[in-house]
Amino acid sequence: MKPKPPKYALRFLRWFCRNDYLEEIEGNLLELFEQQYTASPKKAQKQFVWNVLRHFRPAFIRSFKLFQPSNHRAMLHYNFILAFRNFQRYKSSFFINLIGLSSGLACALLIFLWVQDELSVDKFHANDERLYRVMEKGYSSEGIYTSFETRGPMADFLREEMPQVEYVAAVGPVSWPGYDRLTLSIDEKNVKAAGQYVGKDYFNIFSYELLIGSKDQVLADKNSIVLSEELAMRLFDSAQDAVGKSVEFQQEREFIVSGIFKGTPARSSVQFDFVMTFEALKDEKPWVDSWGGGGPLVFATLREGTNVEYFNDKLEATLKERFGDDINRVAFLERYSDHYLYGIYEIGVRVGGRIEYVRLFSVVAIIILLIASINFVNLTTARASRRLKEIGIKKVVGSGRKELIFQYIGESVLISFFSLMVAILLVALALPTFNEITGKQLALGFDHTLIVSALTIAFSTGVVAGLYPALYLSGLRSINILKGKLNMSSGSVWARKGLVVFQFTLSIILMVSVWVVHRQIAFVQNQHLGYDKDNVIYFPITGRLNGNEETFLTEMKKIPGVLNASSTGHRIVGHNWSVGNIEWEGKTPDDETGFEVITANYDLLETLGVEIIEGRSFSRNFGNDTTKIIFNETAIEAMGLTSPIGTTVEFYGEKEIIGVVKDFHFESFHEELKPMCFVMQASINRMVAKLQAGREKEALAGLQTLYSNYNPGFVLDYQFLDDDYQALYVAEQRVSTLSEYFAALAILISCLGLFGLAAFTAERRLKEIGIRKALGASVVNIVGLLTGDFTKMVVVAIGIALPIGYFLTQHWLQNFAFHIDLQWWYFAGVGLLALLIAWLTIGLQTVKAAQVNPIECLRDE
Amino acid sequence: MKNPSLGEFEELVLLVVAAQHDQAYGVSILEDLEEKLSKKLNISAVHVALKRMEDKGFVKSRFGGITSERGGRRKKFYIITAFGKQMLDQQYALRTSIYQQIPNISFG
Repeated sequence: MKPKPPKYALRFLRWFCRNDYLEEIEGNLLELFEQQYTASPKKAQKQFVWNVLRHFRPAFIRSFKLFQPSNHRAMLHYNFILAFRNFQRYKSSFFINLIGLSSGLACALLIFLWVQDELSVDKFHANDERLYRVMEKGYSSEGIYTSFETRGPMADFLREEMPQVEYVAAVGPVSWPGYDRLTLSIDEKNVKAAGQYVGKDYFNIFSYELLIGSKDQVLADKNSIVLSEELAMRLFDSAQDAVGKSVEFQQEREFIVSGIFKGTPARSSVQFDFVMTFEALKDEKPWVDSWGGGGPLVFATLREGTNVEYFNDKLEATLKERFGDDINRVAFLERYSDHYLYGIYEIGVRVGGRIEYVRLFSVVAIIILLIASINFVNLTTARASRRLKEIGIKKVVGSGRKELIFQYIGESVLISFFSLMVAILLVALALPTFNEITGKQLALGFDHTLIVSALTIAFSTGVVAGLYPALYLSGLRSINILKGKLNMSSGSVWARKGLVVFQFTLSIILMVSVWVVHRQIAFVQNQHLGYDKDNVIYFPITGRLNGNEETFLTEMKKIPGVLNASSTGHRIVGHNWSVGNIEWEGKTPDDETGFEVITANYDLLETLGVEIIEGRSFSRNFGNDTTKIIFNETAIEAMGLTSPIGTTVEFYGEKEIIGVVKDFHFESFHEELKPMCFVMQASINRMVAKLQAGREKEALAGLQTLYSNYNPGFVLDYQFLDDDYQALYVAEQRVSTLSEYFAALAILISCLGLFGLAAFTAERRLKEIGIRKALGASVVNIVGLLTGDFTKMVVVAIGIALPIGYFLTQHWLQNFAFHIDLQWWYFAGVGLLALLIAWLTIGLQTVKAAQVNPIECLRDE
Repeated sequence: MKNPSLGEFEELVLLVVAAQHDQAYGVSILEDLEEKLSKKLNISAVHVALKRMEDKGFVKSRFGGITSERGGRRKKFYIITAFGKQMLDQQYALRTSIYQQIPNISFG
């Protein structure tokens, strides 16, 4: 046996020594070592190590660069060429990958833009960290309720009692009925705009930029009004000139322009054109200044470093100190910018809100990207047999596994970057439609975050899609590949089938969900509401209509096409006026049942088509009905009255119950039916008219003429009740429309993958088909043979997807107090549809393959 | 470029390379030098000298065949170039001419 020199020394030498001298040096050292070894092995070993160390000098140390640049650059170049040649050669799979990935990426990018926008709503305020909304938590017989409205005096209470509060302002918000279309006039010019009444420190709390005026002073005077720049331009043609001028508000009251603000940014959840002082609102509606009247919103900023939980405890204690321990509602603070995303409370606990849609769509985006990536994985592994020789040769020539993995991942990243470019184009094209559906103003601004995230999404998609083919293909044994002995292991076939099943499972779940959402929305829209919302218009009582309501009503009813008309103080659809101070006989002291109140004029119930089931409606034939009240069934039940008619209740004076109406859905179907009542009241602010179907135009023209007689030069500003009703479901409508698109996209991408696989299988089995046909198989046999495999996969996917879909949709429907029951045929239908789509996709390929002439495919052997 | 210089040890190595014409490689040069100088040298010194002289163009190299000796490593043989030889001649002429100028000195 030959003597061995110390291993470590040799390894060290090989590691540091430059290649062109290594052989000489190593040889000479070994020769010396062998010579000395015969004399003294120990000494030889020592000498060898010493000799190696003596060579560790600049002359012989190789250059330590991480990559040997020349070779790698060449390989990179070469891999690029290979990738492009592959794309060119297998155009169909390249395009399937490109289309699939780019639509998936486009989808993900759109959702990303949307999510980013949703998350940034209301976050632009400079005091965002310290900006809070005062909420109320109350206890009633039905449990705990949470309200984001509070009482007007709460603002003063906070300012005086709580030293931690920096600024506080009460707001009569733009969300109140009619406040989004108030009239401002100068001389003969009338402009409709959205406005709200705000406390003095409003601009200190919110960062709406003031162009003219100081934050502290603009709202100091009771008769001040602050206009947005745009509104000022509309009214005065110049923002500068507007300041100090007087503006007529609702043709009732004069306000002096004290400042100009820039307008509300798109990322503000509140949109308004002007603000007036809360003091002015107190003149108009004295109840906003009482602890009894709910409705105003209160916002506050806390001093730096205040812990809000501590503050809330303190606030509760202070309130109890002032009003006694047994108060049935307490106020607490909630971060203002949280309200937009987490606006839904149940039993006093925050349960979610818009954030659910944000999460939902993020998941959808990931699912669609995943489906698109699976296409890529499947097509690449399936077509790998075509490239096996290339891999074999590369391995023989010396390519390591690492290089092959890099090559394949590189190739898929390349495709995903191509796709990204196409996707950006698609997004640019789809953005206007997308904005219309989502009601947003998204733009493809190429800012820092967008670029980084787009690249990250594209890169990670590429890596995920390329990882499996890369690992799988690089792991094959080159000797088997080149000998042609490779039979695709059953494992990889299973993996491919599994991925197809997974893909279809996701798509089918999406389809089921979309179908159920669709049905539920249709259900809500076609549901009999208990009143007739169609062809009912309403408009505010403005100008000289005030004081002439009765004559106007009488004349209005005479207009052809107008079936009935009345007036009300509320908007009927949605939240109206909630009160807790109705007293009746037998009411227990701790009963805090809330009632929704709608003030009504004569004929309102008839105009709306609300059904009376007991007693009578308000009527002129019975003298003065202002001391009468009408409840709905739920209210009667809540009060526990057995014979309600003739009973009196206490509500701003004694009121006699004259009728009971059938329950009707005045709020959205998310809400349980609430106790409600109608009262006769003089202070009403909107006219309601029922138009005859088919004669709406005529009726509206007549109304306009009549309106002009009272308010010359004014346009009748009417709205359809139905539109208000639709607005209750605007979130669901958007989700529904969007998810329809996304589900369609998901199934499309899945089918694209299936198409590619089917084409590939048909091609691979061409000879088999030829032989089968030569032996007498019919076209139907062949089609059945080719379709069978795919059918099984899709059926398995359906089997997995439907139960999951059932579970998910059932869960979603729980959000609605009134919802459809899931029918078995929803699921059967979707399953069948999925199967049909899959068959159609592969049918094209298989039929084409089955019709091939055996001679043509067998000839070449 | 400046005319390359030849160091003292390099000159010795170059002389050995020239002497062992076509059969000079690291170990043989080392052994010859150790014998002539009667002192221990380290092989790395020889390697460095050879490398420098090859860079300067005094010697050129070729690889021998593979044998089972030396762990299968080939020998790298060095041959003096014409330029190297010229350098040696110059050095020799220089030293001789100066040497001949030495007067007859006796150290009684």
